[in-house]
Amino acid sequence: MASKLLLIEDDSLLASTLMETLTIENQRVDRIGDGGEAQTRLSLDHDYDLILLDLNLPTRSGLDVLATLRSRDRHTPVLILTARAAIEDRVKGLDLGADDYLAKPFALDELEARVRALLRRRQNDRNEPLELGSLRLDRQRQHFTLNDVALPLPPREHRLLACLIDHAGEPVDKARLLEDAFAGEAVGDNAVEVYVHRLRRRLGASDVKLRTVRGIGYLLEVQ
Amino acid sequence: MTPLQHWRLSHLSLYRRLMIWLLCPLALLVAIMLLQAWFASREAADRAFDRLLDAASLSIAEQVRWQQSRLWMDLPPSALEMLATDAEERVFYALYDARGHFVTGNRSLPSLPPANNGQMSYGDVISRGMKLRLGVLRARLEGWDRSDRFEVRVAQTREGRQTLANQLFLASFVNIVIIAGLAMVVVLLSARSALEPLTRLRRAIRQRNPRTLAPLELALPRELAELRQALNELLARMRRVRANQERFIGDASHQLRTPLAGLSARAELAMRQSDPATWREAIATMHGTATKTARLASQLLSLTRLNNPEAAPAKQAVDLAALAQRCVKEAFSRHHRHGIDLGVEIPEHAVMVSANDWQLEEALNNLIENASLYGARQITVQVIDAPARLAVMDDGPGIPDTQRLLMLRPFHRGQETGDGSGLGLAIVDSIARAHDIRLTLQAVHPDHPERPGLCIVLTFPADA
Repeated sequence: MASKLLLIEDDSLLASTLMETLTIENQRVDRIGDGGEAQTRLSLDHDYDLILLDLNLPTRSGLDVLATLRSRDRHTPVLILTARAAIEDRVKGLDLGADDYLAKPFALDELEARVRALLRRRQNDRNEPLELGSLRLDRQRQHFTLNDVALPLPPREHRLLACLIDHAGEPVDKARLLEDAFAGEAVGDNAVEVYVHRLRRRLGASDVKLRTVRGIGYLLEVQ
Repeated sequence: MTPLQHWRLSHLSLYRRLMIWLLCPLALLVAIMLLQAWFASREAADRAFDRLLDAASLSIAEQVRWQQSRLWMDLPPSALEMLATDAEERVFYALYDARGHFVTGNRSLPSLPPANNGQMSYGDVISRGMKLRLGVLRARLEGWDRSDRFEVRVAQTREGRQTLANQLFLASFVNIVIIAGLAMVVVLLSARSALEPLTRLRRAIRQRNPRTLAPLELALPRELAELRQALNELLARMRRVRANQERFIGDASHQLRTPLAGLSARAELAMRQSDPATWREAIATMHGTATKTARLASQLLSLTRLNNPEAAPAKQAVDLAALAQRCVKEAFSRHHRHGIDLGVEIPEHAVMVSANDWQLEEALNNLIENASLYGARQITVQVIDAPARLAVMDDGPGIPDTQRLLMLRPFHRGQETGDGSGLGLAIVDSIARAHDIRLTLQAVHPDHPERPGLCIVLTFPADA
């Protein structure tokens, strides 16, 4: 399903480049270049799946726009783009309800990865099917398919893979996996390793790879 | 401002405060002095008139005789004349025998208890609606064969005494009022002169050019000189901050101009050419330069923030292990896409140090970034306890021993081929300095001449 994005950015060169980049990915992108206008637009109902928000805007600051949005809409994910890289600004933005933060300048592929991750979370919230390469999770029916073939999984492996596909493209730490996949069950230290090993065998030669991130946990990605 | 706040002592002007503290006691003092003067004048008047009563009583007592074996006296009018003053008081007298029987007189008068010293006793009495000053003289008439005690009672209305007391009081009143008036003038003048330096200081501050941060030169009394010194210290700190900012602007514009010139020149050159392959190459170069320049700008800013002489880092307890994990997790995707294997090795337990978390994060991010910019393919962040250490190891070309100290200087780059700005290690160094962290650079595989790798260790002070 095509997603609808709103880009709030005043710099026209950056805005047009980002619009072109994001449109390629089967997404519709609207752009607003002014803080006051964005505030007005977001104080009404909207159907955007993701908002990319610059903090330095003419007439109203991005943080004001964010506050207005969050006063009536707590769900639409917001990705802050800003040249202010200070940690304090980042904390302030996240406190106000932004979901992620990208400091300018950023690489386009980094932006694409963040956008994909946020849209994935959105789809997850809406119980829409998630896809990663040839792997697909149907949330309503609670089953995975790999290359359109059903991939039956025991409950723990299912939960582990569901947690990984939710965060596809970013490393998930072991503590998180333990909590999500074995919710409170007393399991051995290397339980996660054992299940990861089984999942790797099941994914086999497909384009989806389960990588180890040293010292952190695991990462599910398309090769 | 509510009325209540308005009347709080701390909001009261210094001048008013001084006035209240000086004038209230002064007023109280004047009131006490006036009261005292009033009583003193009454007492003086009484003393003067009592002497007249005394004399009159004695001359009356001299007139007492026996007549038909009873006490009697004939009073010549002169005896009472001495009591008649200008105030036209009325004078009464009476003779009483030892048993207290009225013998003769022009009016019956009450008795008084005897005085301690055996002299006349005096008292204020009200008799038949008149306020009287009464004097009682106890005397004895001695003869050859008998002796009789008697009492002479003399009374006088108070008009004369009142007039004298009033005159005496008026004189003291005028004196006291003149003294109080002088005191008030002195108080007002001294308060004004004590506060005058404050007024001068305020004017001096108000008249300053808002852009100048020069110290305040002004002769002031000691108490205010301390305030002036505090102000000058604040101004000095602001001067240092401003100098730092100005240096940054200078450095930044100089450092940024060079890559921007390169960028513009490369673009201009590409426009003169027509071969798409050359264009592509030019665009790739320009992209690289633009990224590098942006990174340089943000590093310059953070170096300035760190070198700000006034910005002492607010330290709190930080778990190094959690911090390392968080930074690596955030940096992972970026490096993974470029085929760099980034990982972390931390102990099972937390490693606590006292530090400023965002500065440590900044240092660690710079170390990771630096390693990847200078050609590492595998980067490992390691946290070791006792003593707390944070190490970043890579398998890159490393830095020769001779170069290592130079690396910490801003704008010094180890390899001219690298993509670094030359600020990364300078940033790490200034963070380390602010935290008393020992920064050491060493080779990971000293025996491997091709790729010895670089291990940068931050050793935290033991007490942290």
